Amino acid sequence: MKARRLTLSQRRQLAGVVFALPALALVIGLIGVPIGQAVYYSFTQWDGITTTWIGPSTWSQAFHNSDLWTALKNNAALLIWVPVALGLPLAIAVLLHQRVAGWKIFRSIYFLPTAISWVVLGLVAERFFAYQGTLNSIIHAIGLSGVTTNMLGNESTALSALGITFVFTMIGTNTMLFLTGLATLDPSLEEAARIDGAGRWRIFRHITLPHLSRFIQLAFVMTVIALFSALFSLIFVMTGGGPGYATTTMEFLIYQTGFSQGQFGTAALYGLILFAITGVVGIVQLRLIGSDL
Amino acid sequence: MAAITFDGVTKIFAGKPAVDSLSLHIDDGEFMVLVGPSGCGKTTALRMLAGLEEITTGRLLIGDQVVNNVLPKDRDVAMVFQNYALYPHMSVAQNMGFALKIRGESKDVIRSKVSDAAEILRLTDYLDRRPRALSGGQRQRVAMGRAIVRSPQAFLMDEPLSNLDAKLRVEMRLEIARIQRLLGVATLYVTHDQVEAMTMGDRVAVMRDGQLQQVARPQDLYDRPANDFVAGFIGSPPMNLLRAGVARDGDVTLSIAGQSVTLPERLASPYHLANGEVTFGIRPEDIVVGATGLRARVERCEALGAETLVHLSLNAKGASQHLVAKAGPRTTIVAGDDLAVTFALEHAHFFDVTSGATLRVGS
Ligand SMILES: Nc1ncnc2c1ncn2[C@@H]1O[C@H](COP(=O)(O)OP(=O)(O)OP(=O)(O)O)[C@@H](O)[C@H]1O
Ligand SMILES: [Mg+2]
Repeated sequence: MKARRLTLSQRRQLAGVVFALPALALVIGLIGVPIGQAVYYSFTQWDGITTTWIGPSTWSQAFHNSDLWTALKNNAALLIWVPVALGLPLAIAVLLHQRVAGWKIFRSIYFLPTAISWVVLGLVAERFFAYQGTLNSIIHAIGLSGVTTNMLGNESTALSALGITFVFTMIGTNTMLFLTGLATLDPSLEEAARIDGAGRWRIFRHITLPHLSRFIQLAFVMTVIALFSALFSLIFVMTGGGPGYATTTMEFLIYQTGFSQGQFGTAALYGLILFAITGVVGIVQLRLIGSDL
Repeated sequence: MAAITFDGVTKIFAGKPAVDSLSLHIDDGEFMVLVGPSGCGKTTALRMLAGLEEITTGRLLIGDQVVNNVLPKDRDVAMVFQNYALYPHMSVAQNMGFALKIRGESKDVIRSKVSDAAEILRLTDYLDRRPRALSGGQRQRVAMGRAIVRSPQAFLMDEPLSNLDAKLRVEMRLEIARIQRLLGVATLYVTHDQVEAMTMGDRVAVMRDGQLQQVARPQDLYDRPANDFVAGFIGSPPMNLLRAGVARDGDVTLSIAGQSVTLPERLASPYHLANGEVTFGIRPEDIVVGATGLRARVERCEALGAETLVHLSLNAKGASQHLVAKAGPRTTIVAGDDLAVTFALEHAHFFDVTSGATLRVGS
């Protein structure tokens, strides 16, 4: 072959480009194009059939809409459940990692919710929190017959019920993630720390936690993104966004604006706002992870 | 600082003893080397002393305190792990100061102790680095540093030099021995390496299948092995162990591979030699290759540079025994030569054929 000679690194780059092409095509086709379209539609009024160009005023108007601010506030309020959705699995993973009796069974139990559709989990949670549901049965069974909760029916507590359900759905994934992280921890590090005089807490604080930091960051990103973009099915079956707007998050607002009110242009605009928020969370976290190397 | 005593310590893993009634006393300030073949229980013994492994039966003392049920963090011993076990997310200085920080020492005390130790170990320039940015030898020194800043009751070291190259090993061998003398802390040092065992220890303990075979000063171990296992384990190449017939009549006549050697009364008297069979031991350097003596054929020569190992077979009337002798570096001996060998019999050893125990009088 008399073909032009490429250096080794040129060849490697070429191979890289070739291998990346199919993925690139998919990303552009399935994500890039729709995002571009969404940007376009966000400047229009679109009822699903006819599109009318409005221009940048759609954006200024949107920010005057109180529904948007309510949804954003609900999203922000739900963030307080993120530490719980990380802390609880961390505690469970550390306990399971001590190889407590029956840890394999517990591991399966904690992972089970992950394998179940969020719609089903939402239905179960709805039954749990309902006026005549499991929670009240439990409260009455332990003798507090005077206390009756109605978390989903109450504007001040519905969002908390949603948050608790969200934590429950995240436990499996995050526990698994942390268990994987713990499995990669060299046990002799812990032994060295024990000999250096550290007790359980210090070992956790100075050895286990730093080792898991990468895993915790990943879990954080996944949890926040799930919180912003995967609650729809829970909300749909548990509260339908109510009572009032108490559990309407950005995601649910997009659905309602688009499919209930037929304002697809505004929905696209809301979608872009949500996209920007999750994008920022993701980028900030990737930076943090990257800089830790 | 304190002495260490294993008093009949046994560790059973899944029904099998990994360490079998080990009784061993390490004086305060003493450097004790623990050697033995792979799987003989060295690491297990060390881990029991560190408190990482529970003791099945027996007593373990640090100073005059029984520590069987004392947590590792309260034993005040320092351990150098075979893989170093440095904390990856901490700098060298933080690694070395970790135990002091846990102990609640002030920042100034920690800094000065760490910098003293770094001085001794020539790590001063690396204090801010993470372990992953260090070479193997530097990591090894950090692991040492983590141990010495604490001024512990005892040092435990599990083959700390096994990952290093030959040159670094020689350097660190001297360094560890020097630091240990300097600090005067009782040390239990596990190794596979003959040279480390012979050069570093005040005394050497030899283990086999969980059982202690002999504890002695290095030269005594070499000159007066308690049994054929120790004889064959210590020394490189190991002692030749040959089956020999004994006929005692004032002088002793040994028959080795059908040939006779006369052991004068004077040299036979330190041993219980009765008519029958014994295991005759002779070190390679105590074999003289020459014109007279037992007939032997050269099977193979290994030139090691400073010396040549000559593999011989003693052959007569069908009985054949293998033998390794040492010759000078520029020997003319080649494979296939027929020669004669004599033994420096004043350095010979005799062991019981069945028990393997030495037949030396008074042992
Ligand atoms: N945790 C354990 N569970 C079961 N058996 C074990 C355990 N640890 C060690 N053993 C067994 O105990 C015996 C002694 O092991 P140990 O690690 O003390 O050997 P060693 O002398 O340190 O060997 P090496 O020189 O190869 O490091 C071995 O037979 C080993 O298989
Ligand atoms: Mg070992």
